[in-house]
Amino acid sequence: MEMNQKQQQILSILAKSVRRTVEKEGLDFGQLQEIRMRIGKPLIMVYKNQERILSFSKNGTTAVHMVTKEEMRETLEYVSHYSLYAYEQEIRQGFITIEGGHRVGVMGKAVLERNRVKNLQYISSINIRVAHEVPGCADQVFRYITKGRQICHTLIISPPCCGKTTLLRDLIRQVSDGNAYVKGCSVGVVDERSELGGCYLGVAQNEMGMRTDILDGCPKAEGMLMLIRSMSPQVIAVDEIGSAEDIHAMEYAMQCGCRLIASVHGKDMEEVSGKPVLSDLVRKKRFERYVVLENRKHPGEIQAVFDERGSLLC
Amino acid sequence: MLRFIGGVLIITATTGAGILYGMELQDYLEKLLYIRHVIYMLKGEMEYSSAPLSEVFGRVSARVKEPYRRWLTAMEKQVEGREEDAFLKIWIRSTDRYLGELHLKSQHSIQLKELGTYLGQMDCASESESLKLYLGRLELEIEKVREGLSSKKRIGNCLGVMFGIFLVVLLI
Repeated sequence: MEMNQKQQQILSILAKSVRRTVEKEGLDFGQLQEIRMRIGKPLIMVYKNQERILSFSKNGTTAVHMVTKEEMRETLEYVSHYSLYAYEQEIRQGFITIEGGHRVGVMGKAVLERNRVKNLQYISSINIRVAHEVPGCADQVFRYITKGRQICHTLIISPPCCGKTTLLRDLIRQVSDGNAYVKGCSVGVVDERSELGGCYLGVAQNEMGMRTDILDGCPKAEGMLMLIRSMSPQVIAVDEIGSAEDIHAMEYAMQCGCRLIASVHGKDMEEVSGKPVLSDLVRKKRFERYVVLENRKHPGEIQAVFDERGSLLC
Repeated sequence: MLRFIGGVLIITATTGAGILYGMELQDYLEKLLYIRHVIYMLKGEMEYSSAPLSEVFGRVSARVKEPYRRWLTAMEKQVEGREEDAFLKIWIRSTDRYLGELHLKSQHSIQLKELGTYLGQMDCASESESLKLYLGRLELEIEKVREGLSSKKRIGNCLGVMFGIFLVVLLI
C-alpha cells in the first residue's frame, strides 16, 4: 500500500478539526500505529511505539486537543460513510474495518436484547488501528514448520500485540503463492473479525496470495466447515481460536485432510497446554509445530518453535 | 365570418388551457408515484444488502430515469467523498439541486427532505421503519392527489370551455 494512499485513508475518516491537528504533526504514516479519541479527553496517538498527546495552536497559544462530542459524531459519520446501519454487525463486535484494512474500534453504551449485545449507542471512544503488512516476516519460520514441501499443522502462540496476526497473514500469503519451502496450494481463511484480509465491502485489502479464499465475518467453527464443503482447501487458516466449537471444528478439519494454521493468545507452551479444550489437541499431538512469539525488541520476535512432542526446534 | 373564426379560436385556446391543467395534475401524481417507486427501491436495497448509502444510491441510480438518476449519482459521489460532516446536508443540497425541476409542493418537498434526517443514522430495523413511515405519509399524499384528480380535471375542462364562451360573448 502506498504511503499517500494510507495517509489519505486515515485522514479521510477523521473529523475536520482532528484532521488538521494530525496533519500538523507531519507524520510518516508508515510508523503510525494508533489514533485514540475519547470524548472530553486528549487526542492521543501511538507513533513509532511511543504515545503522543496531540495539541493544536490557536492565536499563538498551544493547547492540548480535547476531543469533543461533535468531533466524535463527525468521525463516526465518516467511518461509516454516513451509514451506521450498514455496520450494525461490526459495531456489535466493537469495530469497523475501513478501506485499507485499518480497524476502527468503538466503545459506548451497549444495547442489549435477550442478554446479548444488539448494538452500541453513545459511542464515546474510538481507536483507529492502522494496518501494517510486513511481507516476509514469516520467512524465518518456514524451515521449521514445513515437511516435504508441505506445511505442518501449526499453532502460533502469542500475547496480544506481539504480531501473531501479521505473521499468520504472511504465512497465508506465502503458502498460497508458494516458496522455496512449500508448494503453492489453495488456502481457505475464516476471517471472523476481518483482521487477516482486512476486507472492505467484501474485497481483501491485504495481500493474501493468489490461491486464497476468504470467508469474511463468519464465525470460525461454522466457517471452517463451510470452507471444507465448498472450496476444498488444502490449508485452512484461522486467527485467535478460543471457544470449544472452534477447537472441535479445527480437529474435524484436520481429520478431513486439511493442513491447519491457527493462532491463539498465550504467553508460552505451558499456558496453552493448560487451556481447557485446546489442551486436548496438544495432548493428542494434533499440532505438529508451535511457534511462540514475544515482543521484547519488536513485535513478531520468535521466542521458540516446538514440535508435537514439545521438543525445542529453535 | 372573421368573428366566428375568432370565437372558435378563443374557445379552442381556453379549452386547451383547461386540458393542460388536467394533464399537469396527472403529471404531478405521476411524479409522486415515481418518488414512491424510488424510495421503495432504496428501502429494498438497504434491507436486502445492508450496504452503505453510497452503494445503495449507486445501484438504484442505474434503474431509475432522469432526474432521479442524476440526484442519486450525485449523492453517491458526495457520500463516497465524505463531502459534508452530516449526511442531511448532502441529502438536502442534492434534493434542491436535482429534484428542484419537479416543482414539488412545499409540503411534499419538506417531507422528502426530512427523510434525510433519518437515513444512515440507525440500525437496519429502525432505518426500515423510518422509510416505511415516510412511504406511509407519501401514500396518503398520493391518495389525496388522486382523489381530487378526476373532478379537478373535469372542472378544468369545463372551465376552459365556459371561459372561452364567456370571452367570446364579451367580445362580440
